[in-house]
Amino acid sequence: MSRLRSASRTHDLKLTKPRRPRFRLAVVAAAAAALAVAGCGGSSGSSGGGTSGSSPNSAPAVNTGHIGGSITVAVAYPSPPASALAQFTKQTGVKVNWVNVGWDDLQSKIVAASTAHSYFADVTDVDWSKVGEYYRLGWFYPLNRYFSVASLGSDMPQLSTFVDNGELVGLPMDSSFLVTTMNMADLRRAGITSLPTTIPQYTADLERIKKSGVVAHPLNVPLQAQEGLSTYWYETTAAFGGHVLTADHKAAFTSPSSPGYRALAWIVSAYKSGLVPPGNINMADYAALESDMAHNLTASSLSEYSGDVATIYNLPSVSKVVGQVQYIPTPSVSGSPAPNLGNPDGIGIPRTAHNVAGAVAFIRWFDAPKNQALWAGANGGHDAIEGFPLPAENSGTAMLAESLHGSGGITELSKLLRTSQPVFQNGAPPWYSQFSNAVNTNIHSAAAGQESVAAAIQAIAQVVQSQAS
Amino acid sequence: MAMEDVSASADALKSEGDAMATNGSLRRGRRRGSRRTHVPVRTQRQRLAYVLLAPLALFIGALTLYPTALTTVQSFFREDSLDPQHNFIGLRNFRDAFANPAIRQSFLNTAIYVGFGTVASVGLGLVFALLLRRKSRWRAVLLAIVILPWALPPVVEALLWARIYDPSFGPLNGVLVAVGLISHNRVWLGSNRWEALLLIELVQIWQATPLSVLLILAALQLIPKELYESASVDGATAWHGFRYVTLPLLRPGITVATVAAITGSLNIFDQPYILTGSASATASVGLQTYEVSFQNLNFGQGYALSLIMTVATAALSLVVMRVVYRRVEF
Repeated sequence: MSRLRSASRTHDLKLTKPRRPRFRLAVVAAAAAALAVAGCGGSSGSSGGGTSGSSPNSAPAVNTGHIGGSITVAVAYPSPPASALAQFTKQTGVKVNWVNVGWDDLQSKIVAASTAHSYFADVTDVDWSKVGEYYRLGWFYPLNRYFSVASLGSDMPQLSTFVDNGELVGLPMDSSFLVTTMNMADLRRAGITSLPTTIPQYTADLERIKKSGVVAHPLNVPLQAQEGLSTYWYETTAAFGGHVLTADHKAAFTSPSSPGYRALAWIVSAYKSGLVPPGNINMADYAALESDMAHNLTASSLSEYSGDVATIYNLPSVSKVVGQVQYIPTPSVSGSPAPNLGNPDGIGIPRTAHNVAGAVAFIRWFDAPKNQALWAGANGGHDAIEGFPLPAENSGTAMLAESLHGSGGITELSKLLRTSQPVFQNGAPPWYSQFSNAVNTNIHSAAAGQESVAAAIQAIAQVVQSQAS
Repeated sequence: MAMEDVSASADALKSEGDAMATNGSLRRGRRRGSRRTHVPVRTQRQRLAYVLLAPLALFIGALTLYPTALTTVQSFFREDSLDPQHNFIGLRNFRDAFANPAIRQSFLNTAIYVGFGTVASVGLGLVFALLLRRKSRWRAVLLAIVILPWALPPVVEALLWARIYDPSFGPLNGVLVAVGLISHNRVWLGSNRWEALLLIELVQIWQATPLSVLLILAALQLIPKELYESASVDGATAWHGFRYVTLPLLRPGITVATVAAITGSLNIFDQPYILTGSASATASVGLQTYEVSFQNLNFGQGYALSLIMTVATAALSLVVMRVVYRRVEF
């Protein structure tokens, strides 16, 4: 053993590095040179700002008719049928490369590409919540040169959401808004014969569904810290009778009696009392709808997206509740239906686009009322885009309603759409991303028991205060 | 002999040879009476080496040194896309970052990921390497199975484990309920923060352990069998052999495995993002850097956080080198 130990000690030598002063000098010189170059050249690289608030005439002129070339369309929807895209190519000569990217990931892609001034698509998503930000940053061409706000506005109820200081940042590509759904079969099985009209009634009905054993956890709330949780809070706040921000973008939820505070407390309480499936603490919006609502693991969602009935719940391939779920007026504190907040996605042309003419032609084609009706299911599943809500135009919605003969919840949706309101009275603030991040992370933390409702409210309010000042 | 001794000897021989060649050439020059300045052969060889290495050095410099330097410089400037001012603000980015409770928490979360992840992946790497050391007909198959998690992209693994942890449909609950370890389905990534942190890091360990296995197995295979034979002749047990022969001689391999594990855990991003979204209870510094840069568009703070992580990675690696690494002689 002693020989073994001494043998190992022989091996236990300290590391000695040979002295290489020239090598060290070379490394230091290279680092210094790199720092010097970075210091001289790095001053303007990363902000990525374009020409914010630029004149509508800053967008290039485009030809109509045969255009040619190709465009890349990067949006958070599956593509229309190949036959439809082929028709567009035939009309314009423009080949479409469709890239379907998840919404959250797509926003990161837009930010990364725009700040680096690098091309990634000719047409991409402009969410209602990003309009203020994109206007300030100038990442998208203003579309006023190609589309008339005045003439389109009458047929596109959510067009104004995409206008900031007169500049049309994007065109609505759908007419999504936040709606309440209910599994009517579950309601009947629990012995409930009328729809709830107030929040207390709604909560009581959910508890009754739970107690009767129809559904163990009847309320769907996607509590993962992502955008879907933020919009859930906005609609719940509307149900409690208010908005989360004032018209001048100040916090309207700090008082415990305010609608926003009560809405947040209600969401947290619903989770802690077992009305929401425990696993929803880490479920994002569409995952919760497709796995919970569509499989009758939940019975109702106070806030989800218009169009889900036709494109998720009534599709036998993905749903076990075909024909059971319908849109209901959102319960409120007063008993009158709460407003359904607009949640439209839009499409715009990034300033790094290669084929602007092709992009404009695509937007015109995609947003044509007849095509919008097809994407929403006017021709059955043949030309529908999975998950596509209502058409962006009233005329498209009318075509859809006529073709579906009132099925798919279109009639109910059309009624709700008439009283739809924007989430923010004066458009989304430019710092919306930071605000939404604070909202969903703090609501998640509060639901998970990691902080109190009061602490969550304070943390969100701090972000508003720091940005608004 | 140690590798460094060999190279030092080679250098010495080369110098002698070059000196002889130089003297020879100089002597030739002098004999002929020429006034030409002769460049020593060794210097010519060095210049050729630098010329041949220059393209690669430039490439690496452009991809690593320049971005690092840019990050360092820009972390002291205001770089906010929503605020057009670009001016020097000193340490303000660092101060503002640490004033954010979510970012402070992410440092603690990352420390937990590194501590748990490094110990577990290196420890497991050592165990598997010892098990795989013996040659058998199944070794290649077992090695392929062990390496498989390392071959998959982290995002794919995180999605896979999100399914495994799914409280309603996940096989983890299914198996545990079936064998009677739990009575009903559990929410694995729910309210218990520590549980969530460990389960997230488990995914990263699952991915990082194969690399530790490979590094330590390679070092194990260099150890001469004669050392164990002479140890057993001396009366050493298997444990003594492991403690006094294997472990000391494995130090270089363990060092590299530890540094790799630390680097991987420090930069963890995909696993917490996929499994728990932007939740601050489990967010890593890498995730917060992404949020600050690409959600809040405050690139100055993002640079500051990146710089901190770079320095932390370098510092921890140096500590490991100092404490764990030893030169090995056979």
